[in-house]
Amino acid sequence: MASSSKRMWQVVFWLGLLSFLVWDWTASPPVDLRQEPPLIAAGSGQVITGGHCSMAK
Amino acid sequence: MQRCGPTRRSSDGLFRVKRVPLAAVLAAFFIFLALAVSIRQAVLLLVGVGMGMALAGARFGFTTGWRQLIEQKDPQGVAGQVLLLALASMAALPLLGVFPELHAALGPPSVSLLVGAFVFGLTMQIADGCGSGTLYKAGLGVPLNMGILPLFALGSFLGSVHLDGWLALGQIEPVGLAGVFGTAGALALTLVLLACTLLVVRAWVGPGRQWIERRWIWGAVVLAGLATLNLLLAGQPWGVVYGFGLWAAKASVGLGLFDPAANAFWGQEGNAQRITQTVLMDVTSITNIGILGGALWIAARSGDTRATPLDREQWVVGLVAGFLLGYSSRLAFGCNIGAMLSGISTGSLHGWLWVPLAFAGSMVGVRVRRHYRY
Repeated sequence: MASSSKRMWQVVFWLGLLSFLVWDWTASPPVDLRQEPPLIAAGSGQVITGGHCSMAK
Repeated sequence: MQRCGPTRRSSDGLFRVKRVPLAAVLAAFFIFLALAVSIRQAVLLLVGVGMGMALAGARFGFTTGWRQLIEQKDPQGVAGQVLLLALASMAALPLLGVFPELHAALGPPSVSLLVGAFVFGLTMQIADGCGSGTLYKAGLGVPLNMGILPLFALGSFLGSVHLDGWLALGQIEPVGLAGVFGTAGALALTLVLLACTLLVVRAWVGPGRQWIERRWIWGAVVLAGLATLNLLLAGQPWGVVYGFGLWAAKASVGLGLFDPAANAFWGQEGNAQRITQTVLMDVTSITNIGILGGALWIAARSGDTRATPLDREQWVVGLVAGFLLGYSSRLAFGCNIGAMLSGISTGSLHGWLWVPLAFAGSMVGVRVRRHYRY
């Protein structure tokens, strides 16, 4: 693969990722900053409900 | 066409990002997250960047470590991984005992897990990367891994869509060792099992081998520290696969191809809510983006890449393996990070079931890899 082709792959990859993130941000409802999670979950007393790959549900 | 691996220095035409502009972009993204999403997500981005830098800088490859053990009887990679698991366990299990807000990575022992782990181990050898490996190699600019990433995401999404059917084949409730033996007992059992793993490896490789190299040691120490930080900040262990699946799920919903309400997994309250939110609010998505950025930083610094020509058949096989990698990672309730590292370090039985099945798959996978002359 020529170096220019490799460069093209990388440009396409990063532009694709950036495009997805921009689309996601504009298509999603605004973030409610008043519902901001604690900086440190440990010791916050709040139940954390994030997605994780070990979850069956 | 080429196959690339981050093992040798080269200056053969990389997409050379300068470090100062890259640092400015990462800083701007950090500030954006802090102002528009949450401070936690901004800090988690930095944690992810650190993970990417450690993975790429130490060349901490789970896939390569297993392959070197199988093919060359070289135990260094696996010894580094055992060190990582031990350090992460010594931090995570006591923290889980102290802070009730924190979650372990508990997956259900199931037929789905057994099948998924075997297929994952097989395909990761062909795709030359697990979940984290695909991420950091894509960040380094390895063409095959960049091509695999969207297919991994699609596979992860479809695996989660079909997960209910796979679980219907047989499962039991997740088993947490801390719940059975207490925190101290779970940690002791985990360390004993890790020591037994090293004994099995010693029996396989025989005497006179170098056991560990400096890069594996510092990689394990840094990654264990960052995984612990992830647990403390996010309240859950480090994961990779869920974020990929969420991206594909969001895209599918956005294109009108998928109705999450009609699906057992994505119809669940938490998952349904995350589909409607920006992925920048998702923990695994933000660390995944950070890993890509951290690996790009390493590529910008050193130009690490190796290029070997790949023919059309190798590309097709590699991309198919990448799709199956994503699909099987959901059936297995995680990859080397979510199931092995996070599962074992937080005392989940499913992590201990995952390892032998994935390793058995890898033993087949290295032969397939050889067959296709990778």
